[in-house]
Amino acid sequence: MSYITGVIERIRNLTKSIKEYEIFLEDCVKPEPGQFVMLWIPRIGEIPLSFADAEDNIIRFIVARVGRVTGYMHERLMAGDKVFIRGPLGRGFRWAPSGRALLVAGGYGLAPLHFLAKKLRAAGCGVKALLGFKSDDDVFYREEFERLGEVEISVEHGSSGYRGTVLDLFRNVIQGEIYDMVYVCGKEELNLAVMRECLIAGLPVEASFERRIRCGAGICGSCSIEPLGLRVCKDGPIFDGRMIMPMLGAERIEG
Amino acid sequence: MSPDLEVELARLRLRNPAILASGILGSSYGLMRRVEEAGAGAITTKTITREPREGYLNPVFVDLEFGYLNAMGLPNPGITAFKMELRRAAENIRIPVIVSIGGRDESEFIEVAEQALDAGCNAIELNLSCPHVGGYGLEIGSDIRLACNIIRSIKSISSRPVFAKISVYQARPDIVSRYIGSGADGVTAINTIRAAAISVESMTPILSNIFGGLSGPCIRPIAVAAVYEIRRELPDVPIIGVGGVDGWRAALELILAGANAVGVGSAIARKDLEIFREIIEGLRGFLASRGFKSIKELVGYAQRL
Ligand SMILES: Cc1cc2nc3c(=O)[nH]c(=O)nc-3n(C[C@H](O)[C@H](O)[C@H](O)COP(=O)(O)OP(=O)(O)OC[C@H]3O[C@@H](n4cnc5c(N)ncnc54)[C@H](O)[C@@H]3O)c2cc1C
Ligand SMILES: Cc1cc2nc3c(=O)[nH]c(=O)nc-3n(C[C@H](O)[C@H](O)[C@H](O)COP(=O)(O)O)c2cc1C
Repeated sequence: MSYITGVIERIRNLTKSIKEYEIFLEDCVKPEPGQFVMLWIPRIGEIPLSFADAEDNIIRFIVARVGRVTGYMHERLMAGDKVFIRGPLGRGFRWAPSGRALLVAGGYGLAPLHFLAKKLRAAGCGVKALLGFKSDDDVFYREEFERLGEVEISVEHGSSGYRGTVLDLFRNVIQGEIYDMVYVCGKEELNLAVMRECLIAGLPVEASFERRIRCGAGICGSCSIEPLGLRVCKDGPIFDGRMIMPMLGAERIEG
Repeated sequence: MSPDLEVELARLRLRNPAILASGILGSSYGLMRRVEEAGAGAITTKTITREPREGYLNPVFVDLEFGYLNAMGLPNPGITAFKMELRRAAENIRIPVIVSIGGRDESEFIEVAEQALDAGCNAIELNLSCPHVGGYGLEIGSDIRLACNIIRSIKSISSRPVFAKISVYQARPDIVSRYIGSGADGVTAINTIRAAAISVESMTPILSNIFGGLSGPCIRPIAVAAVYEIRRELPDVPIIGVGGVDGWRAALELILAGANAVGVGSAIARKDLEIFREIIEGLRGFLASRGFKSIKELVGYAQRL
């Protein structure tokens, strides 16, 4: 699989450290929500990014500034520049159009959940999104999610919504409301904590995991979740709670 | 009775001849476990060095349609950390685990080998052939005398089998017999072949390291020739044939050329771990349909007059 050429159409500042890139691809891709690409910027590097949106030849990425490649993207990349992608890669969410879904996002983890919410909505499912941020200044994509369903925001410092972590917000929400499925994407602690609670409550749950991805083809072993031997780039990045169970302290989980 | 796929390889007993090649998934216990469950006959680990290595920056892998190009840069956790993975493997994995060892000099090879043996590995493979990491692999293997010295010193500390993994440039019977003369129990042939790819769209090299190693179906004929030639001159040398094994036919081709067992590498990118079952069932079906009782009968069969 060789690279598909893309041209940056538009760059939007979402927060001081997060930007959205709208890219026109020379070839159409048909990703499932949760799948990712390896985005290559010649002479700079290649990184995994989740689809935040994809429609015909237009795709969107949400990119948090972290290090070398994302730093270059934030500082240097401009509309009109070329980038190259290989993908879609990995296994996406195994979502099915039924019932009510609860989406739990930490920071830029909302990227794949946005694309998922769009598909769920188009399939007639009820969607509620819990979006967690550090402070008022970090909040983004609220309106985008409001177009697709219910939204609740959490901030650890500030007044934008629920005051606390998105995990606490999630715990409150599932006490009083009924869902058929939970999807989560954030830091690993958040993923594991939400998965644990769901498994205890008997709720199906899927989460998107991160590891350093190198070959992206499932052969180099760099992105293995140990000791399970699950490759993020091929077996994931989306994993069902039951696959991750051995990492959750399984002895206390019923069902 | 169903035909027998068991092979003997330098005192190792393998349930079938399909071995996981070095650098493919053999970097952690969890992955090795999955490869065993997938049906492999043995596992070769990622090449392990004394210190941890980060490897090169991305891109490190290119899918070329006819094959693959990689320049990972020998990323590995270093032998001290890897020992824990090896210990768990020694306790829980039943198939032989061959540890691939890399080094810049004789002393690094010895130190890593000592630790690997201590952790309970079943055999050692010396990486004398990786074509894209300065100071390692092919740069060691190109100096035949140095390679022979390394083999000799590893043999002096190891009672377990030692394989020399060779590049196509050293895949000659005269060189192999010097390795065997120095004590090597067998050879693994071949490693990837130095190569590069340039994107016409960006007009730049794709790999961050520019140069990498070519693998996949496009190198199979080269591997077949290497194995054939070594087997023709050295009828008793244990050979692991590696290069372009993407199914049972390719595996059989290398066996017919003279390999006792075959390495499965980059084809896993396209076929995933199911490739091991495909090879096993394919070989068994072929043996049954042609009336052979054991895969051993077919080693070097194509060289019969
Ligand atoms: C499947 C997948 C999907 C992703 N989707 C998105 C997305 O939609 N949006 C987005 O902004 N980011 C996403 N990421 C994360 C993104 O790929 C990394 O932030 C990026 O690779 C960092 O590259 P860099 O060169 O800027 O940073 P580097 O210079 O490589 O790293 C900076 C620092 O971050 C650490 N680091 C980098 N990557 C990781 C990692 N995976 N795990 C732990 N530590 C790490 C490094 O060790 C270093 O300390 C995704 C990752 C995966 C695996
Ligand atoms: C991603 C990748 C990493 C590799 N790493 C190693 C390594 O660490 N040590 C080694 O001896 N060979 C390494 N190899 C070479 C393989 O073991 C094998 O010799 C080569 O790929 C040819 O086999 P194939 O065509 O089946 O892939 C690597 C190959 C690939 C594709």
